[in-house]
Amino acid sequence: MKTAILIAIIVLADAAGDVLLTRGMKQVGEISTINPRALFGIGGRVITNKSFLSGIFFITITYVSFLIVLSWADLSLVFPAKSLVYVLSTFGAKFFLEETVTFQRWLGIVLVCLGVALTSLP
Amino acid sequence: MKSTARGTSLKKTILVLIPAIFAQAAGNVFLSTKMREIGNSGWLPLVSRALESPTVWFGTALLIISFVLFASALSWADLSFVVPAISAEVALNVVFANYFLHEVVSLTRWAGVLFISIGVVLVLQSGRQKAQQKSEEIPRSGGR
Repeated sequence: MKTAILIAIIVLADAAGDVLLTRGMKQVGEISTINPRALFGIGGRVITNKSFLSGIFFITITYVSFLIVLSWADLSLVFPAKSLVYVLSTFGAKFFLEETVTFQRWLGIVLVCLGVALTSLP
Repeated sequence: MKSTARGTSLKKTILVLIPAIFAQAAGNVFLSTKMREIGNSGWLPLVSRALESPTVWFGTALLIISFVLFASALSWADLSFVVPAISAEVALNVVFANYFLHEVVSLTRWAGVLFISIGVVLVLQSGRQKAQQKSEEIPRSGGR
């Protein structure tokens, strides 16, 4: 039960974090350089972006809960369960970020989800 | 919305995500090994002992590298592409947990690994199709 609650927190916070991070990174714009000085400038814009920072807040919740749950549960159980976030994030991408998700992509995501459910079983 | 050359973007996305996947899977192995060693010792001692451990710091560094790569990919690629593509790490985590942490992995979990792999291939292909559609819709224009 303790494990289930922590996993639920991890999944919800992670999906919210993903959507906010993407919004932030899209606002900053495509990274198309490996010039250190330019990257430094981009880094500055990234860490002052409000959406990105809210994303980091949610990811931090995810990370702390993940560390705690790992102290008693198997990685090969926790990690697959945590991965339900992939489905939730895709819904977030479709509804909040207005991405077009093709039929094949949904099929792939459903298979990933099934695979994740299978890997969660003992 | 910016229209960049999507074909090269797909390659770039994959090039950035592969190290992200490996760094994350390896980071999880380091964290899991150490955290289980520390075990259930109450909240405060748990946190302080975790912070003292170089293994935890190293595992965390790997996860940070993975995160920076992930966030970079999000600056140009779809979240609905990056997220399932990166789920390859779940399969890799099961393999790593079996190989390095000697956790017993059942046939059911191996079947899950197979499903995830097929799903990831489908998503990768959907990325390629989208890239092709985009380059047909927007004939290559000069400049940016």
